[in-house]
Amino acid sequence: MIFPPRPSKIDQFKAWLEDRTGLGGALASLMNQPVPGGASLWRALGMVAALLVGLEFVTGVLLAFYYAPSAATAWASTAFIEDQLWFGSLIRGVHSFGSIALIVVSGLHLVQVVLFGAYKRPREANWIAGLLLLLVLLGFALSGYGLPWDQAGYWAKFVETSILSTTPVVGPMLEAIVQGGSRYGHYTVIHFYAVHVFILPAALALLLTLHIYWARRHKLTPPWWMDPATVSRRTEPYFPGQALRDLSLFAFALAVVVVFVVVKKGAGLEPPADPASNYMARPEWYAIPLYQLRMYFEGPLEIVATMIIPGIVGALVFALPFLDRSHSLSPWKRPLATGGLVAALVITAVLTTLSVRKDRADVAFQKHRAEVALEGLRARDLAKRGVLPTGGIDVFKNDPQFEVLSLYKEKCGNCHGLTGQGGDEGPDFADYNSRSWIVSFLKDPQGPLFMGPAKKKKGMKPVEGTDEELAALAEVVYAQTGAKDVKPELLKKAKDSDLFSEKDCDSCHYIDEGDKDLGNAGPSLFQRGTIDYVVRVIEAPDHETLYGEKAKMPGFKGKLTPEQIRLLAEFIVGMKKPSATAAAN
Amino acid sequence: MLYDAPANTDQRRGFLRSVTTWLGGLLGAVVTLPGLAFLAHPLRKDTVDAGKDPLDVGATATQVKPGQPVMVDVRGELKDAWMRTPDVKLGACWLVREKEQDPVKAFSTVCPHLGCGVDWAPEKKQFVCPCHDSYFDLQGKVLTGPSPRGLDELDVKVNEGGRLKVAYRRFRLGTAKKEEV
Repeated sequence: MIFPPRPSKIDQFKAWLEDRTGLGGALASLMNQPVPGGASLWRALGMVAALLVGLEFVTGVLLAFYYAPSAATAWASTAFIEDQLWFGSLIRGVHSFGSIALIVVSGLHLVQVVLFGAYKRPREANWIAGLLLLLVLLGFALSGYGLPWDQAGYWAKFVETSILSTTPVVGPMLEAIVQGGSRYGHYTVIHFYAVHVFILPAALALLLTLHIYWARRHKLTPPWWMDPATVSRRTEPYFPGQALRDLSLFAFALAVVVVFVVVKKGAGLEPPADPASNYMARPEWYAIPLYQLRMYFEGPLEIVATMIIPGIVGALVFALPFLDRSHSLSPWKRPLATGGLVAALVITAVLTTLSVRKDRADVAFQKHRAEVALEGLRARDLAKRGVLPTGGIDVFKNDPQFEVLSLYKEKCGNCHGLTGQGGDEGPDFADYNSRSWIVSFLKDPQGPLFMGPAKKKKGMKPVEGTDEELAALAEVVYAQTGAKDVKPELLKKAKDSDLFSEKDCDSCHYIDEGDKDLGNAGPSLFQRGTIDYVVRVIEAPDHETLYGEKAKMPGFKGKLTPEQIRLLAEFIVGMKKPSATAAAN
Repeated sequence: MLYDAPANTDQRRGFLRSVTTWLGGLLGAVVTLPGLAFLAHPLRKDTVDAGKDPLDVGATATQVKPGQPVMVDVRGELKDAWMRTPDVKLGACWLVREKEQDPVKAFSTVCPHLGCGVDWAPEKKQFVCPCHDSYFDLQGKVLTGPSPRGLDELDVKVNEGGRLKVAYRRFRLGTAKKEEV
């Protein structure tokens, strides 16, 4: 007698488990689901979108371990993720660029569904579920963009909630609920966060389950170009043919996302939200067409672009299966659907191109973008020291310059100006010791920007001369500041005509250390404008080589530490704007 | 059979099956591994740092009377993940002087057993942890109770004005050895 072989322990356990869970059968049923007309890359789009949702879910949960939602902590905790956490830049980058990939792939999936006529009877409900999913994705993108609470996110949200507030009747109410108050604050960030991580994922899970369930229930729509016999001949199970295409396309999408993260050095982070800045806000890339559309509707018509046109287009898209009742699946025989799709794509592309080209040609805008990028890097660098509890924008208090500025305001600002509009009792330091500053000084030493406010009894008199003479003389003074872009031809000219004596400078000032005992009525010009010289002025302006008895300014030696005095000197010397030639060098 | 597939594709299909399964596994790993590393950041680098400097506890040596410990807060700058707080409560310590001529010692209020705040029982002249009843004497030694070691002593510096500075530290709990964390 022959006994059948006893099943192995593992097989026995498998059978036991399957008996109790039924998961193996469910998986097999999914994997064996027929793909009418055979596997194709077109068909992969839906599943790739679902896999990207999974990627967003995983990276999103990871980020939630380190991100802190509130107006004071959002930017700083994001900067910490980006610059200090192990793999932080990668995870955040994949989450950010992955969301772009998700919107693109979902859009392509929509295009595929329209081309295949897959919205037709009896799939109307699933068409609507798919569109709702797209709206949920849009909600994710809109709420997520604000979470870092950087300039880009803050201002994009600010404009969007302002648009929301223009909704007839209920606008202000909606705005107050969304932003959690009458103004932006902690609750604004926390509300965006709660929507982003609780409400929308729940809605997404529900809709995606329905979407996939209905897709199975109604079967996939066969390609319009195949006759029924070919369709049934080529039909194959989902696994492995279609599964391989799905995974390959997802792998490609993931690779593109990672390449973007690497090339763009992460998702990027602009400077912290600053309600006092003149930020040139632009919406997220997918909203650029609407942004451009708004340009054509001014004043009371604005609502046409922000609500009426998007509302009508949206309603038409939702109604597509009910408007297009033809039985044909071929896009050529469905002019309404195909025409509408092409028109929508073309209009979107045109509006985006117009907006992008306008910004590209806008020099001020490009300059602004460059400044924002630099400021963002500076802010991130300063954030490495830790951001004060008062919030992201106070990251700039980590800057040594900030300390100097506070010190300057306290000790110097009462007499000296920084704005180029004149100080109250001393010279203004805007563009201090640049060529034009020196020339203006020579022309009018008692002017409002120079010694005028000090109201000295026996001050320096204006130097008279041609513009060329003054330029040459100024260059002599300028050369003493240690500037690197001195023009030798001007110095030579000054020397050849002996301008320093000619214009009677040397009766009060000496410029050569050897002449120390001559011209002592005014401050020495030797190395005037270097940091060391300014240090000496701050320490003791009444020193015999400086202003002597005529000094009105108090000396700060002993009142400030040597480090503080040096910082102030560096700050004042740094007030000179970088000149074009210096920048070129 | 459900599908009308030619028989000679069986081998090809078997190959496709394993390629697909491996690709799926690979993609899962590619996403999971950096994610795990990201979560493991705190194992790699500490996120909370209170610095090493001794901190002024707002008391002078003469204010600590023999046999009468006083509890003082230790405040200082705390770098906690993204945030730098210039002046925040880091913890507290007991300042103790046994006899008049002794220098002042400082004990962390964190019980070495499981971290509750150690109190002073004046009637017994002993330190007591209110959670699990560990008792310590004035030198910080365990008298009774579950604590595996005595109270953790902190370094004390006295500056010119007699003001006390304490180097605040945290130590691993539940171990006989005093090990800084």
